[in-house]
Amino acid sequence: MKKIVIALAMGITAISSMAATSMKFTVNGMVCSFCAQGIEKSLSKMGATKEVFVDLKKKTVAVEAKDGQVLDAKAIISAEIVDAGYDVVKIETVLQSVAEIKAELKGRK
Amino acid sequence: MTMGDISPNWQEVLVNYTLTARDAVGASALFMRSDDGTKTRQFTEATYTRLIRRWNMPESQANIWFIGGIGNITGNDFSGSKTMASPGIQVDYETTRIYVSATSRLYRAQGLNHDFASVRTGFSFYEVDYDQTQPWFILEVRRMRGLTDKTEVTPMLRLIHNRYFVELGVNNASQARMNFMYIF
Repeated sequence: MKKIVIALAMGITAISSMAATSMKFTVNGMVCSFCAQGIEKSLSKMGATKEVFVDLKKKTVAVEAKDGQVLDAKAIISAEIVDAGYDVVKIETVLQSVAEIKAELKGRK
Repeated sequence: MTMGDISPNWQEVLVNYTLTARDAVGASALFMRSDDGTKTRQFTEATYTRLIRRWNMPESQANIWFIGGIGNITGNDFSGSKTMASPGIQVDYETTRIYVSATSRLYRAQGLNHDFASVRTGFSFYEVDYDQTQPWFILEVRRMRGLTDKTEVTPMLRLIHNRYFVELGVNNASQARMNFMYIF
């Protein structure tokens, strides 16, 4: 029984470490495609960024971290989104890839 | 960013460089012509654009901009060139489906007054992802002192795709008009 519990725990840990980590930002004022592209371009340049997705209708910016790297929410927000002229009203860290977030948001449309 | 506004009586090309999210500097060349084609103006200016105030709302954005320029104007009904100043203000409100703006700019030089005002409004036909082409209907009404006593009304089709923006229309004098913008 003990061996099964240990194996399960190891399995869960392994799955968690394999899951992509992304940050989702809800952004007010982001209404035009030029806004979205500016944000996408600047966030894509950040070292820890693997992928970026912007959904204008859902007011969402999703950023996925590169494997083994951590996204700096403060840097992302202050240096990129807020400084670009928009307001961040919600921040979430999710165990999802940008592709998964994209599929989820598009599924809700 | 580079943008242009091209029609028989108004031809303008502008290049803007964004210094901060609130400030941009640029250079502009503007050709203006009277309705009867007898008077012409060429105005080259250095410009400064400042975002005075922005409101970020959940589904919309509103802005107040200062637009100013200073440069030289020449014309075919006076000799030499004159220094012209062109301070102005623009207010706009935008959602992913609706756009409204109003612009007023003074174009003043000694003995010249070509003050300008415009109002634009429009709607997008449908919502798209930001990397897809979005078509809009835009109606612009504008008027300028000194060269025309008519109000120009231009319905336009606006297309936005990635970094490209183009507007095509025909004004109430049956003249073709094209605006473009490209974001670097």
